[in-house]
Amino acid sequence: MELLRNLFHDALLLETRRHFLRDSAAGLGALWLAATTGRTWGGESSTKRDMAQAMAPAPSGFAAKAKRVIYLHMAGSPSQLDLFDYKPELARIDGRDCPESFLKGKQFAFIQGVPKMLGPQYGFTQHGQSGAWISDRLPLFASVADEVCFIKSMYTDQFNHGPAQLLMHTGTQSPGWASAGAWATYGLGSDNQNLPGFIVLTSGGKNPDAGKSVWGSGFLPSVFQGVQCRSQGDPVLFLSNPPGVSRDLRRRTLDAIAQINQRTAEETGDPETLTRIARYELAFRMQADASDAFDIRQEPPVVHSLYGTEPGKESFANNCLLARRLAERGVRFIQLFDWGWDSHGASESEALNHGFKGKCENIDRAMMALILDLKMRGMLDETLIVWSGEFGRTPMRENRNGVEMKFVGRDHNPGAFTLWMAGGGVKAGFSHGETDELGYQAALGKVSVHDFHATLLHLLGFDHMRFSYPVAGVNMRLTNVTKPGSRVVREVLV
Amino acid sequence: MDEPGQQMIHPVEFISGCHSRYVTRMQRDCLLCMALFSRHDAAWGLFRLVLLCFTLGPALSAAEAVPRLVDFSTEVRPLFAKHCTACHGGVKTAGKLSFLYREKALSKGSSGAFAVIPGEPDKSEVIRRVTSVDPDEVMPKPEHGPALSQGEVDVLRQWIRQGAPWSDHWSFLPPVEPARPLIRNKSWPKSTADAHVLAQLESLGLSPSPEATAAEWLRRVTLDLTGLPPSVDDFERFTEDCRSGFETARASRVDRLLASPAFGERWASVWLDLVRYSDTYGFEKDPFREIWPWRDWVIRAFNEGMSFDDFTIRQLAGDLLPNPSAEDLLATAFHRNTQNNTEGGTDDEEFRMAAVLDRVNTTWTTWNATTFGCVQCHAHPYDPFEKADYYRFAAFFNNTEDCDQNDDFPRKPFPNEASSREESLRLQRQAGRLREELNATGVVKLKDLKQWQPILPLSANATGGVIKHEPDGLIRTSGTLPIDVVYTLEIPRIPGATAFRIEILPDSDEAGRPPERGQAISKFALCIKPKGASNQVVKLQDVVVDFLAGPRDPRNVIQAGGGLGSYPVMTGRRWGVMILEKPLEIPEGAGLEIRLEHGIASNGGVQGCALRQFRLSYVKDPGVSEFARSQQRMEAWAEHARLKNRIKELGGPEVPVLVERSQSARRETRVFVRGNRLTLAESVTAGVPKSALVGSRSNPGDRLEMARWLVSDQNPFAARVLANRLWAEMFGRGIVETLEDFGTSGARPTRPELLDHLALRLKGELGWSVKAFLREIALSASYAQSARASAGLLERDPGNSLLARGPRSRLTAEMIRDQGLALSGLLSRKSFGPPVFPPQPEGIWNTVYSGEKWNTSTNEDRFRRAVYTYARRTAGYPLFITFDAPMRDVCSARRMASNTPLQALNTLNDPAFLEMAAALARRMEKAGTLPHDQIRFGLRLVVLDPPKIEDVQSLEALYRDCLKNYRANADLARQLGESPEHAALTLVANAILNLDLSLIR
Repeated sequence: MELLRNLFHDALLLETRRHFLRDSAAGLGALWLAATTGRTWGGESSTKRDMAQAMAPAPSGFAAKAKRVIYLHMAGSPSQLDLFDYKPELARIDGRDCPESFLKGKQFAFIQGVPKMLGPQYGFTQHGQSGAWISDRLPLFASVADEVCFIKSMYTDQFNHGPAQLLMHTGTQSPGWASAGAWATYGLGSDNQNLPGFIVLTSGGKNPDAGKSVWGSGFLPSVFQGVQCRSQGDPVLFLSNPPGVSRDLRRRTLDAIAQINQRTAEETGDPETLTRIARYELAFRMQADASDAFDIRQEPPVVHSLYGTEPGKESFANNCLLARRLAERGVRFIQLFDWGWDSHGASESEALNHGFKGKCENIDRAMMALILDLKMRGMLDETLIVWSGEFGRTPMRENRNGVEMKFVGRDHNPGAFTLWMAGGGVKAGFSHGETDELGYQAALGKVSVHDFHATLLHLLGFDHMRFSYPVAGVNMRLTNVTKPGSRVVREVLV
Repeated sequence: MDEPGQQMIHPVEFISGCHSRYVTRMQRDCLLCMALFSRHDAAWGLFRLVLLCFTLGPALSAAEAVPRLVDFSTEVRPLFAKHCTACHGGVKTAGKLSFLYREKALSKGSSGAFAVIPGEPDKSEVIRRVTSVDPDEVMPKPEHGPALSQGEVDVLRQWIRQGAPWSDHWSFLPPVEPARPLIRNKSWPKSTADAHVLAQLESLGLSPSPEATAAEWLRRVTLDLTGLPPSVDDFERFTEDCRSGFETARASRVDRLLASPAFGERWASVWLDLVRYSDTYGFEKDPFREIWPWRDWVIRAFNEGMSFDDFTIRQLAGDLLPNPSAEDLLATAFHRNTQNNTEGGTDDEEFRMAAVLDRVNTTWTTWNATTFGCVQCHAHPYDPFEKADYYRFAAFFNNTEDCDQNDDFPRKPFPNEASSREESLRLQRQAGRLREELNATGVVKLKDLKQWQPILPLSANATGGVIKHEPDGLIRTSGTLPIDVVYTLEIPRIPGATAFRIEILPDSDEAGRPPERGQAISKFALCIKPKGASNQVVKLQDVVVDFLAGPRDPRNVIQAGGGLGSYPVMTGRRWGVMILEKPLEIPEGAGLEIRLEHGIASNGGVQGCALRQFRLSYVKDPGVSEFARSQQRMEAWAEHARLKNRIKELGGPEVPVLVERSQSARRETRVFVRGNRLTLAESVTAGVPKSALVGSRSNPGDRLEMARWLVSDQNPFAARVLANRLWAEMFGRGIVETLEDFGTSGARPTRPELLDHLALRLKGELGWSVKAFLREIALSASYAQSARASAGLLERDPGNSLLARGPRSRLTAEMIRDQGLALSGLLSRKSFGPPVFPPQPEGIWNTVYSGEKWNTSTNEDRFRRAVYTYARRTAGYPLFITFDAPMRDVCSARRMASNTPLQALNTLNDPAFLEMAAALARRMEKAGTLPHDQIRFGLRLVVLDPPKIEDVQSLEALYRDCLKNYRANADLARQLGESPEHAALTLVANAILNLDLSLIR
């Protein structure tokens, strides 16, 4: 009687769950929600996650190399041809008409007619034991080149910022899907219950082009969405007590609320009320812990000079230092957005020969510092740093409306871009893939956005084909179910 | 059935054997209760166990005696879905086998064997394969999933033996009124729905909970129906009324709530999630979209009690109704809530198509709770939809004028005042008809002309790119063509010419190619170039084109700012004729020149639409000029201009609406290969999937017929879907838990009979009246129960799917704000109008490339109901997002209520909530001089009944501690309140607004 066995087994599971819930701090919260929100990567028999305990740490599918992710997204998409993808041949044909074969059947955001080729705008030299080619815009970052794993053969199929950013973070170009950070916290919970498990930091508070959908939870429960924290004012919205309310008085208020809620719970028997009591307690702890985590003034001067941070200012560097502090505290996924990388050359601030230089200075020291700092603290091995834009830029000079512009810039290019990773399970001092000799299209060892996602999940301990969530009859995956054939880029794994 | 022991198992495993005539009454009861739980339910396992213990003995003996008919829908299809359809379904049909359709399951597979031979389980390949021990043969393949259990194999075997009967998934079958359930406690039910609820409880040996107190019921029903809490006055009046009759007091209270203007504001919010309503376009810059008049239309429709069939038809096809009113046209803004991408360089056609497909998906989710979207790329994996079905349905939406233009074209002005609104729309319709007529009579006039002569240019110049003219007169351009490129063509002298024709040719005439980039001129000029004198511009009188479509009027090419051609994309040849005022006279020795100017840019304003391939011809018929100059035609043009002026004078917000393209401008719809719009397959005509079309009625052919089908008896879904949605709003959980999915992959109804009854009642006796339906629920005995859950009941039914107790749900995001405003006395009851800007933290609206600012409202707009808050897609109002409101990017059919620390921080610390707390404290101060009385008053605003003394004491203690603190620290007190007393009371009010009692309805 196999069935009877199953029935007993089910009943036992339920019994265990009930005891677990009853004994846990949160009480019997959200039982029905828990019951309907399974995490399904472990196959049919996997236990279902309780939504009241949504952020509790959870084991991954298999041994993970990376415990957490710090993702540095350069919104607007920096030119790989002026930073990492060195193309001497492009320098040679600088200023010539773009060959017809480059233009046929291609769609551009701004380029019209026949543009001119544009060579690298800055000098390149090789760095470290690995001999990585890096442009002279990133001298400090170049000094840690041997820690970095480049993928130079990234490509995407989106050439506008909004859709391309969505694809880069959610696996599809339209809004409404779950972001990589939401997947990671859905799968792994978080190691610190007093902070959000998925934190988003934006330089100067500017949102990315695709808005908050890039850190949305999509079809996953909303608790897994990224929480945007700010570097000025409250790091988490409404974290501080209002003026006139001291921490002691807040404690007193919460005690009064809890007393009444406790009576309500006894009277109604509603487990959600018990959960609510626990959530208010958690909020109180979060007030202290998050304020502490976000207070970079606590860092010694030597750290500030390493990162180039200035407390109280909104900067990418400050966010990098914050990322390290959050990583130390067990936050699962830390997503940084920097902006201003859309180097069309339509204005001085975003021109390759002007604003781009300043942008590079802004990130150069901070990127180096983050890698070094994590390494010195022994955290680099278990922290995966990812750096990318949402697409690449053209080897042609942009000619908006068909005319040569005052400043130098490049148009969007979905065909090739560079992404680098460091730490958590990827080869250090390594470069994977190549573009064609002009850096226009990924040519060797091509890596799609979905391949990258498969690799990212692998590093976090998940098989991207099995790590799924059922939506309307389809087991949704970060590696978009409608785009089969994604692969883990094993070449970059340690 | 081979083993008698299995007999019981199948119905238990697969729920509803109760349809079978062979099942004993005892079994039936047991099975019925099984049907209460979806297989996903946490309690399911335990329940199975308990019930098995109850019924195993008698059921077994009954089963031995009588063979049982296997129910395909509940037993066999789920088995296919679980084990087979991933490979043998809609997406994949490995071995040419699919278990989605009977004829496919019964046909020969590529192995040559028949998977299913009715009546012959031992000859059916499927039995051989699922029982095989050979790892190369067994199905499912070991790497794809576990083998079928013995029980599952037996179900399959018996089903085949019984002739492999097929039936549709439950939601594809029209609802049938069930027999009135048998119940023992005849005095409890107040409606048939109650009887269904009770029958189930009785069959499980449960009884309903006692009635809720007047306070509990009143708070629940007031918040559910109006989204606002009842006042203490309301409560006292209600208890007073109750003395002269409980039932009538409730009924008259519900009637008052349904008649309240707050009703529409509450229920509009439910609809707006489905509609993905937002005050912005979406995407990068996410600019403002003036579509709030439509939001007001929805609120009014709910308040006026518009029947849901009307509501449906107007929103989906109000523009196609005979003699549509202004309100009918406004209603069609429903499907203009799709996103519009204005980012520079985005392909307008790509995002036009995205909007069309979004309309398909939204329509199916909203009305039919069916995951039709899957079919965009492939046949549906589980439900009986073929891929072409999707594109046939898309064809209903593929012929509207909107095309992802930066100005959200087409928009129509809707003056705020009703009378001007109707007048404006009457004039707009008149102007539109007149304009079509002017062109149509021109087309008729030109049709008779046979003597068109090709123009062979003498020279061709362009201000950018390359222009070449061929001996046959064909002109081609290439290279870098600036947006405003000008072509100058020197042409032979044509004295006496009266009209010039331009024919614009696509790069390819091949059918089935994706649309090309557009080609359109913005100005056409004809110049005489006398020797040694300056150019003279020849006066052009009129323009006639093959058909009118798109944002710009082709007639304006004779001045500037017109648009002749096709953009943003081109799908076929176009022509236009410029008519001269009089036959052309050219002085001796003078040359002749045509100037074609451009200036239209698509794709977010960066992609030019210069002509790439065209030819010119002329005609010398003097009748053409006479026609253009005729008094009748000149007067018609003047009338057209007068109408346009008058429409402008009437003004009003310009709302994006649906505008159908004319017959001659219709777009062809083709199936996308793998969902990719750039690879097209066969052409399709509009229609509804056959599997969703009940009866033999002919298939709808246009948007209006489709809308009518949705709310007709020919559609099996809509009434169930709406009944379930309204039920879920009132009870916290649907009869089908997956409000968004009634397909094979969704949850099964916990009470199919009740759902059918409700659906039929809703669209039948109640005539699709949402108010009447909600009234019945609100006055039902099920709804009137106390929400108190005993430990035993909680364990048995944690999700309250049995309704053995009353509902207890968290307030929605909107209710949380509205209640705070209402209790504090700040709430403005002003209705309608442009969106408002309540306090929001700095920095939420930092959107790239957008200078739009959140300017916090300072007047009463600061305290309006949540439904009026400015909804920006890329940066929603923080409170709403934190409390589980969707981003409104796409249709969202269900909110999952979470319970998080971020919510606590929001209601504790948000300055907007402190503002409410301070105002509530002032109200409380006025209630008495003693803190005890003040606090009691404040608490009573929430609980209505005299509050529990312990609760008052808890808050009094808080008050004393705060007061002590604030008296000792006047500076601190001043930051929060006007005095230490007010500051302390503000913190107490802050606590009251954060009580579980306050956050729950």
